[in-house]
Amino acid sequence: MKLNIEGLLVYFPYDYIYPEQYSYMLELKRTLDAKGHGVLEMPSGTGKTISLLSLIVAYQREYPLEVTKLIYCSRTVPEIEKVVEELRKLMEFYSKETGEKNNILALALSSRKNLCVHPEVSSLRFGKEVDGKCHSLTASYIRAQRHSNPSLPSCRFYEEFDAMGKQVPLPAGVYNLDDLKDFGRRKGWCPYYLARYSILHANIIVYSYHYLLDPKIADLVSKELSKKSVVVFDEAHNIDNVCIDSMSVNITRRTLDRSQANVETLQNTILKIKETDAAKLKEEYRRLVEGLKEANVARETDIYMSNPVLPDEILQEAVPGSIRTAEHFVGFMKRFLEYLKARLRIHHVVQESAPQFLKDIFEKVCIDRKPLRFCAERLRSLLRTLEIADIADFSAITLISNFATLVSTYSKGFTIIIEPFEDRTPTIANPVLHFSCMDPSIAIKPVFERFQSVIITSGTLSPLDIYPRILDFRPVTVASFTMTLARTCLCPLVVGRGNDQVAMTSKFETREDFAVIRNYGNLLLEISAIVPDGIVAFFTSYTYMENIVASWYEQGILENVQRNKLIFIETPDAAETSMALEKYQEACENGRGAILLSVARGKVSEGIDFVHHFGRAVIMFGVPYVYTQSRILKARLEYLRDQFQIRENDFLTFDAMRHAAQCVGRAIRGKTDYGLMIFADKRYARADKRGKLPRWIQEHLTDGSLNLTIDETVQLSKHFLRQMAQPFKQEDQLGLSLLTLEQLQSEDMLQKIAQIAHQA
Amino acid sequence: MAALSEEVLLVVKRVRQRKQDGTLYLMAERIAWGPEGKDRFTVSHLYADIRCQKISPDGKAKIQLQLVLHTGESTNLHFSNESTALKDRDAAKDLLQQLLPKFKKRANKELEEKNRMLQEDPVLFQLYKDLVVCQVISAEEFWANRLSINNVDHSLSNNKQEVGISAAFLADIRPQTDGCNGLRYNLTSDIIESIFRTYPAVKQKYGENVPHNLTEKEFWTRFFQSHYFHRDRINTGLQDIFSECAKLDEKGLKSMVFQGVKNPMVDLLSLEDKSLEEGYGSNSTAPSTSNTNKTVKENSNSAIIKRFNHHSTMVLAALTLCMALCTIIMCFLSKMSCHFYVIEYEDLHRENGKKTVALNLKKSDRYSHGPVPLLPQQYTTSQDIVNSVNCIKHEIASYKPCLTQVMSSSTASSAIAALSPGGVLMQALAQQAINQMVPNDVQEEMKHLYTAAGELLRHFWSCFPVNTPFLEEKLTGHLEDMFQMAYNKFHAWQTRRMMRKT
Repeated sequence: MKLNIEGLLVYFPYDYIYPEQYSYMLELKRTLDAKGHGVLEMPSGTGKTISLLSLIVAYQREYPLEVTKLIYCSRTVPEIEKVVEELRKLMEFYSKETGEKNNILALALSSRKNLCVHPEVSSLRFGKEVDGKCHSLTASYIRAQRHSNPSLPSCRFYEEFDAMGKQVPLPAGVYNLDDLKDFGRRKGWCPYYLARYSILHANIIVYSYHYLLDPKIADLVSKELSKKSVVVFDEAHNIDNVCIDSMSVNITRRTLDRSQANVETLQNTILKIKETDAAKLKEEYRRLVEGLKEANVARETDIYMSNPVLPDEILQEAVPGSIRTAEHFVGFMKRFLEYLKARLRIHHVVQESAPQFLKDIFEKVCIDRKPLRFCAERLRSLLRTLEIADIADFSAITLISNFATLVSTYSKGFTIIIEPFEDRTPTIANPVLHFSCMDPSIAIKPVFERFQSVIITSGTLSPLDIYPRILDFRPVTVASFTMTLARTCLCPLVVGRGNDQVAMTSKFETREDFAVIRNYGNLLLEISAIVPDGIVAFFTSYTYMENIVASWYEQGILENVQRNKLIFIETPDAAETSMALEKYQEACENGRGAILLSVARGKVSEGIDFVHHFGRAVIMFGVPYVYTQSRILKARLEYLRDQFQIRENDFLTFDAMRHAAQCVGRAIRGKTDYGLMIFADKRYARADKRGKLPRWIQEHLTDGSLNLTIDETVQLSKHFLRQMAQPFKQEDQLGLSLLTLEQLQSEDMLQKIAQIAHQA
Repeated sequence: MAALSEEVLLVVKRVRQRKQDGTLYLMAERIAWGPEGKDRFTVSHLYADIRCQKISPDGKAKIQLQLVLHTGESTNLHFSNESTALKDRDAAKDLLQQLLPKFKKRANKELEEKNRMLQEDPVLFQLYKDLVVCQVISAEEFWANRLSINNVDHSLSNNKQEVGISAAFLADIRPQTDGCNGLRYNLTSDIIESIFRTYPAVKQKYGENVPHNLTEKEFWTRFFQSHYFHRDRINTGLQDIFSECAKLDEKGLKSMVFQGVKNPMVDLLSLEDKSLEEGYGSNSTAPSTSNTNKTVKENSNSAIIKRFNHHSTMVLAALTLCMALCTIIMCFLSKMSCHFYVIEYEDLHRENGKKTVALNLKKSDRYSHGPVPLLPQQYTTSQDIVNSVNCIKHEIASYKPCLTQVMSSSTASSAIAALSPGGVLMQALAQQAINQMVPNDVQEEMKHLYTAAGELLRHFWSCFPVNTPFLEEKLTGHLEDMFQMAYNKFHAWQTRRMMRKT
């Protein structure tokens, strides 16, 4: 259908539309008009992606000079592919309706592992290996060497692409990863480099967060993307953690040992080169004197996105003299390594700020702040000059140099914690230096600064006001949309007590209590008897799940559960869990029915959907608080309190509730879907917890469904399931939660729609 | 005594039958009773013929055992030795209890099968009546080569649907204390079957050990004692025969994990596009997962989890047929279609009136085995047809009758007359009327005689080549008699018909 969104003609590739989609598009349009950032929460399964795509593509067509590019960031590879498929559908609809051929180029970008077509390289199993192998075939100096020695191996796909691929841009169309590979094979071009090259002129790019947020990758890939782009972060409820992870560094003894080996290799290589090709080193020296002017020029003329690891001041200066020659730099790194080694030889926990660390290092080994800041850049230049083939081997020393640059650049937002051993095993020495980022805004700042509109959206972003605060930006729109429903297809229940009236809670003091564990077991048993097909249960942590499963086994609860359904359990091993998941789906598919025991914050809770019969009930055992005894977390909480005035408890509850919401939200993936959401902890009934759930869940959490016993829960669930099992037709939805174009245009419907968006 | 060569399992003296004292013998294949003082059995039943045994209630004065045969007859045995009657009876009863089921299954099945065949096939039934009831040949001979033929398709038609396994079959063998410091496990053949199907390694061990090294009972006792059954125990004693099973299971699980998953939507390994490199990230707990600093308890806990996954997987795998179908479906829903499936919002589409139709399978085995490749067939393309038509046209155009070699008109007309109905060559048609001429009952009898003779001939021919003495004996001995008998029978019938006619 064709929609009129405040004067903008939007093609929507379906015959019907959900009211909330219309409302979502309205808000989105206003955000784009204002050239500002937005935070939008809409339940999953209400067609968020297609709404985003339809509106932004329409906007792009209408105002090609205002918005030149859409950068759509998602989290996982399947999600990326999903977005591309929806886009393809939209494009097909466009060409059907308008009758003209599309001139929009849209493509997905992923790592080499997913795009490589070289027969040998692509057969490697791990991404790191693929990257390393690819680099050893395609690095510029290797190719230069090949001129003199043609027998060296090469990648013909890259060579072809380099020779021909850049002359003609990729023809317009929608390319997912497989399309790119097909195209690459047909032409004999490397799909990865083709995609990386093509994103510069593509209209729509779909890739993962890391390509924008991780400075190491963003600098390679996304640096030159146009300023007039709209950036969308989908499934962004965890975006702060992604930012923090990309800026944090951990150094263990092993890292240091490997760095030591790296440094020695460097030294030897330098000696060798000195004998054979001293001119090369001189050339490098000259370049370093000139400084990083090039990068500076580019940034000033606004071609590059700034890199948080490469702060502005560095660009204006020359590399300091003390590390300018290769030998001096290697000596410098050696000293730095020795210092770190000495720091790791401790017997008690040390926590200090970056300035303290710098002061200490200056006092002990006379290392200045300034050369430290240039470490990362200097190392990169050296590696380039020395023509080292396999960069992967130098990951340790690269890590150390990145650490050096970060610690000397940021005086705020980071903390250094040195732990001599793990808390659980105080006898085994395993010193770790955590350099941890506490401020997610550091990594995402360049994105907000560079691009005119950044949209953060997800099914669970409540409470909405916290994201702008922790990410330090000013959105023009903050809105939460509810799900309009013709039938209440979700049934949140808070179970607070067992049938014996013992409170059910995963509170630390009582979590090992026999009665609590037994009641949890009884709940699972009872639910497994009444819910058809699949049930997913989430625990607060992996160790907690292990303990509970063990005591359920001893009590014979699991064997009774097995009478009803098969049991599959998540393990820390991803491959094993994948298999368990597949078997779980198989068991749901063939009617056997199954239970998946899983962990909040685990991979399953983050990336796997349980549509329809794969998840008819989700049980959340306990409130998934993060492990609060961790020093890193404590430091972060302190920082949040001091910098953003967010109280510890507020943040912890917010974090726990967003994960709980993520877990239970896995079961509902659309309006025709239905599922029970069982919160098994009495603390969920409290207003401060309940109030932090997304609005679309809160709405259905009535007073009658709080603090139930197991029996009451079973009664309510039976009733709900029986109702839901009735046939559900399109006509039932029409006019309420599903609209035709005519219905959409009616006056009172527009009024109703205006209420859907809930401004924070 | 007829039973000299037989193994006598039990002899009970002073057993009365029909108010006659005598001795009861239980032998390997039959039960027999002979009156006192005589060296022959007046009662002798094969175990296979016995349907069941009944005993008199404990309080009764007469201590009796009743044998009920398949034919419905019954034999009462009265144990009359005052002091040991009860013991004697129980001994006989227990032995019978052990023996009967062994024969029962076989006998019943055969009998049922024969019965079914006779009921389903009236021709066979008639044949049976003609040959067996009239004692032309014995029942065994009659069935001898019939059952073997039928056994084949019997097994085909009886290809029952495989029953899945209850996931909780191990729960059903919950031990019960027997009151005196022991545990009793209830093990049924179903559960054993389930164990074997779920844990092929145990089956293998069973096959390796049971008849030679261990008795069945010992085997299962050890099974229940082993850590393998108690999944939370991990310390593996070396002499435990099941420690290897656990290892095998582990191996199987590993190989399954290594194979990876087919559905990209659940593959957690390839979910992340770009994982953080080593050393980055805020909570790198990677080094802490090493096994060294794990407590025993944690290890056993993770062992439980692993085994639960394995157990469920194996239970699922036991539904092999279903599995095969699922994998086929999974293949169909290969990468692309998977995504397609996921992005569809079915309710946003206008319903196109496409009603789905339930799958109505005529040949379910074809469905599960997939399409059969077409047999090579000779097709005539339209081009071929056009060509041949042209060819014929061409032939016709150039056709010249060869007038010198044609038949004279008179012979031609007489040939036509002879071939017309009523003509000389067509007179055989008149024999059709025999249907009407001969009365139905005669026809029927004739038919029966014919099939009976046919059956005898079949027996006759099946004796060739004569390569065993048994066949020779059969050929020269009673087959001859049988033919004679059949001939006599036919002759009798013939004369009877003649008599009636005249």
